[in-house]
Amino acid sequence: MEVSFTVNGKPTQVEIDPAETLLSTLRDRLRLTGTKEGCSEGECGACTVLVDGRPVDSCIYATGAAAGRAVETVEGMARDELGRALQEAFVAAGGVQCGFCTPGFVTTLVSVLRENEHPSEDELRTALAGNICRCTGYSQILDAVAATVAGRAAR
Amino acid sequence: MTVIGERVPRSDGRAKVSGEAVYGVDHSEPGMIWGALLRSPVSSGRISRLDTSAAAAMPGVHAVVTAADAPDVRAGWVIKDQRLFARDVVVYEGQPIAAVAADTLEQARAAVAAIELEIDPRPAVVDLEQAMAPDAPLVHPDWESFVPTAGPDFPRRGNIAAESISDPPGVDEAFARAHRVITDEFVAQRQYQAYIEPKSAVGIYREGRYVIHTASQFPFNVRDRVAQFLDVRPSDVRVIGHTIGGGFGAKLDASLEPYAALLSRAAGGLAVKLVNTRTEDLLTCTCRENAITRVRSALDADGNIIAREFEVIADNGAFSGEMPWLTSIALHCARGVYRTGPTRVIARLVYTNTAPTGAFRGVNGTYLYHAVERHMDHIAAELGVDRREYRLRHLFADGEELLNGQVLHDAGILRKAFDAVDAIAPWEKLQAERRPYRGIGIAAAWWLTNPMPGTAVVKLSDDGTVVVVTAATDNGSGAVSMGVTQIVAERLGIPPSDVRVTMPDTDVAGFDAGSQGSRTTRIVGKASEIAADEVIEKVKAVAATMLEAAPEDLEVAEGTVRVKGAPGNAVSLGEVAVVATNTVGPIQGTGSFVTPFPEFNPGCATGLMLPSFPTPTYHVHLAEVEVDPVTGNVRVLRYVVAQEVGKVISPDGTYGQVAGGVTQGIGYALHESLRIGEDGRYRERTLESYRLPLAPDVPRVEFVPLEHPDPDGPGGAKGVGEGPVLLPAAVIANAVSDAIGKPLNSIPITPEEVLAAIQS
Amino acid sequence: MEMELRTVDSLDAALDVLADRGADCQVLAGGTDVMIQLARGEIAPAVLLHVENVPELQGVSANGATRIGSLVTHRALAKGLLGPRYRALAEAAGTVGGLQTQSVGTLGGNVCNASPAADTLPALLVHDAQVALRGRAGSRTVPLEEFVVGRRATTRRPDELLTEIVLATPPECTGDVYLKVGRRSAMEVAIVGLAMRLTFDGDDVTDARIALAAVGPRPLRSPAAEAALIGSRLEPRAIETAVDAVLRDISPIDDLRGSADYRRRVVPGLLERAAGICAQRAGRTPEHEE
Repeated sequence: MEVSFTVNGKPTQVEIDPAETLLSTLRDRLRLTGTKEGCSEGECGACTVLVDGRPVDSCIYATGAAAGRAVETVEGMARDELGRALQEAFVAAGGVQCGFCTPGFVTTLVSVLRENEHPSEDELRTALAGNICRCTGYSQILDAVAATVAGRAAR
Repeated sequence: MTVIGERVPRSDGRAKVSGEAVYGVDHSEPGMIWGALLRSPVSSGRISRLDTSAAAAMPGVHAVVTAADAPDVRAGWVIKDQRLFARDVVVYEGQPIAAVAADTLEQARAAVAAIELEIDPRPAVVDLEQAMAPDAPLVHPDWESFVPTAGPDFPRRGNIAAESISDPPGVDEAFARAHRVITDEFVAQRQYQAYIEPKSAVGIYREGRYVIHTASQFPFNVRDRVAQFLDVRPSDVRVIGHTIGGGFGAKLDASLEPYAALLSRAAGGLAVKLVNTRTEDLLTCTCRENAITRVRSALDADGNIIAREFEVIADNGAFSGEMPWLTSIALHCARGVYRTGPTRVIARLVYTNTAPTGAFRGVNGTYLYHAVERHMDHIAAELGVDRREYRLRHLFADGEELLNGQVLHDAGILRKAFDAVDAIAPWEKLQAERRPYRGIGIAAAWWLTNPMPGTAVVKLSDDGTVVVVTAATDNGSGAVSMGVTQIVAERLGIPPSDVRVTMPDTDVAGFDAGSQGSRTTRIVGKASEIAADEVIEKVKAVAATMLEAAPEDLEVAEGTVRVKGAPGNAVSLGEVAVVATNTVGPIQGTGSFVTPFPEFNPGCATGLMLPSFPTPTYHVHLAEVEVDPVTGNVRVLRYVVAQEVGKVISPDGTYGQVAGGVTQGIGYALHESLRIGEDGRYRERTLESYRLPLAPDVPRVEFVPLEHPDPDGPGGAKGVGEGPVLLPAAVIANAVSDAIGKPLNSIPITPEEVLAAIQS
Repeated sequence: MEMELRTVDSLDAALDVLADRGADCQVLAGGTDVMIQLARGEIAPAVLLHVENVPELQGVSANGATRIGSLVTHRALAKGLLGPRYRALAEAAGTVGGLQTQSVGTLGGNVCNASPAADTLPALLVHDAQVALRGRAGSRTVPLEEFVVGRRATTRRPDELLTEIVLATPPECTGDVYLKVGRRSAMEVAIVGLAMRLTFDGDDVTDARIALAAVGPRPLRSPAAEAALIGSRLEPRAIETAVDAVLRDISPIDDLRGSADYRRRVVPGLLERAAGICAQRAGRTPEHEE
């Protein structure tokens, strides 16, 4: 079946299998490999993308359900002011080690920060419960968010 | 300009945050097809029927291979005990029996499902004690025919895959006259590395060689293993590395690579890609081994430990991998960091019908230190003395002689580490402020920095930047993208952003022993430093002519070569490179480095394959926990680390290793269960049930680095990465036991156990 | 025949499809359960009926009863969409997976999936939840405890769509809570889930609702435990009696997440903790909020 939606602002039409996941469409058909597959069961969050601004695990999201919606992936984050600030902060704060979880963290955090400009550390930890990082132990990721929030407040 | 110790952004950071980084799982080749494996559904049995004809006829299928299509050889890192495919028998759940290559992944999986397989189940050898019994069924009846990969054979027999025994005089005599004997037994489950990027490989058979693309921590090891399995020379295999999405030891040995290689050949040279599903990956990963550790200490009337007996039984799984080499780590950890008099150490590695175990950060140490440190708390409790004070009384000091004859010249750093922890988390204050169901724990460790060799070539480009050619891998730690990069930048006086380090390619780069044992910053950093020094020498020789000065009067700084004391008299490195190319030849330097093993007494033990711990580091951890008396859940309120690192090269990198390692340790201590059923199959099989620590589960780690530079290390660096994971299980168990007033001696500690202990 | 995904944008359209093909249909909203089951081969419908765009299933209204559209997400509930009188449901919804699950996962989906460990079900049960079902043939409203009849089993007919969940308005001086037992702080399938709603007149409990998940094939209330608390002042004796009643009513098993023994062991403390929180939220005790 054919499905139309926007990806990072770009109108996109793609032929898919009915039960195909958004992750598979993004990676295999659209060659947007920034979004990662970590578990295929909605546990690790490495596949997080935004659909109409909401963070979803694309490995368990039907592409067909994205019809007419706006999909944002990590590849689009650099063109988003908040996304770019977050990406830079991640590198500056040491919040990236192997980096495989990072795209999922970036998209999740963009949606969190769009909704709440000043989340507390506890609120952030809860919001990030669906994003597993095996490398960092999370604190430098939280530092990156804090730096992003502070940077935006300063401006 | 100095960049050592500065916060320098990692060179691969931008690509990772933008989604541009190409990991092993992202790599593709033109015309690539897909592979899938038929894996044994049972842990022990005889294959009575294997018919691939239906599968071979299915749509899109290019090849189906089994044992019959692979060379009749065994392979292995330390001992060659493993076949590529199960031939007559299966020995663990998940063991590959056949492989299919097809146009699409779906087609490959459909063909795998169509392979007709019948297995007559046999009893699975699972229990470690039973496996060691003289009449136990043998996991490998032909174990005697196994040949060590290199070097002499080592003590092993039947299901005992390796054994190391140290039995100095005086042990029994001390126990006989002991005032008190304290005995403990500890049980630890496996731990799955659970890197977020599943394993993958792309194999291409071309021009008579196998080319492998993979995210491996140790490309040269993968090359050797593929060569063993496919019975070709190592140089007939080329391994090209890619960005790694975590490894923690599990990606040191080959896994999917030999299958991708074989399938490509069978498919007429088409590139074939294999990717593990998460469940496949979990079930077949070379996890940290489960183990039983028994400790007995003889105490005199004053509470000194006058002798010890230390027994470890570790689960090898069905094949050995690296494990035999690690068996003697028990000898190095049997006392922890405390004096114990003559110590008998018996360490055994046992074959079972379970997935092969292997290296996970802090190999063996996590459960050995748990045992030693839980035992110390037990002794202190029996004696009615303060746990911290008891440790300090018996702590190693400078010049401590170890069980293997090695001398720790700087063990006095341990005392400094205890003091450093106390400065930010005062023990007496924490004790005084204890509330019900809160507890504190403390523990200490010493560890090695893996000494194995590394090589680097530093090439000067004509724009003044350099390329470092190395097979070293950065599995996320930043050892390459920060550590090595900063070291080379520092040496050459150029910004870190002008240093580019290549991805590994075994055709191009010299040997490197991989990202393991906390070695990369130190060994590869040093090799790169040596290479950079050769570049500097050559640069000065050429620049001397250009500047009409003597080479010894020149220095490199700020991207130039200049006359010392007359910085205006300078040429850029780029200009030097161009001149060189047209005269003496392009400028590059080579370096390699290996740390010798510290002196030891070879007669101290049998099976002593890892004889001593090079470049020792020292660690003290403290944890404060709170127990929920209603549910038995444990929350880690506070976690403090003091760690000897030699020299902090990259502050973010160092802290990242500490926070990340502690978090893995917290998972090991509390959340991650990996239970093996009586049938040898894992009970936890997905990330839903194999629980990794999440952001709301862990505190911020408070970290105090101690820096006593190693004169041989680049910038003084020692290994950092493994230490942090060694002690969380120990300190958390000590803290929980303290909180509830009952000893808990298993890894992990589950809320069920805690609640049962509270309510008993 | 290949599976089909059909997106409908009105209730009528949805009911038409269900009238024709209901037996082969799997309703798809957020998909966080359905897509996993599909991938594992646990379900193999001919039609995935995608209903996320159906406006009649959205929104909340409160005149008399509180009516929650089946497409209301866990995230919306967790953020307090229903206000301070329905904290148990907000707390329960806030523990269904993580942010990604809650952002698209729906209350209707959680109810229809009817997992024995479903977090929202106990919270709904203590508020006398009813489910509204619509089909071409007509509509009906069913009490939740008659709708969920067993493990992953509901009485929804193949031609019916769950359109709303209806909650009674709690009386004055009522407090409710949802407590969840799991290994980690989040992303857990409940080992035990406990919801409670208590109404007070002064210090006397005048109404009590207690519901548990993950202790039997379906979430259930414990009327005997409720009776033990009614008329009490939550004194230890009453709590003990309630605990005993719950322990008689539940039938926990050993499973991958926990043993039956553990599930029983947590009940006393959990019940007492829940009662204390309900009392506090009903304005009965001056202690600090937990």
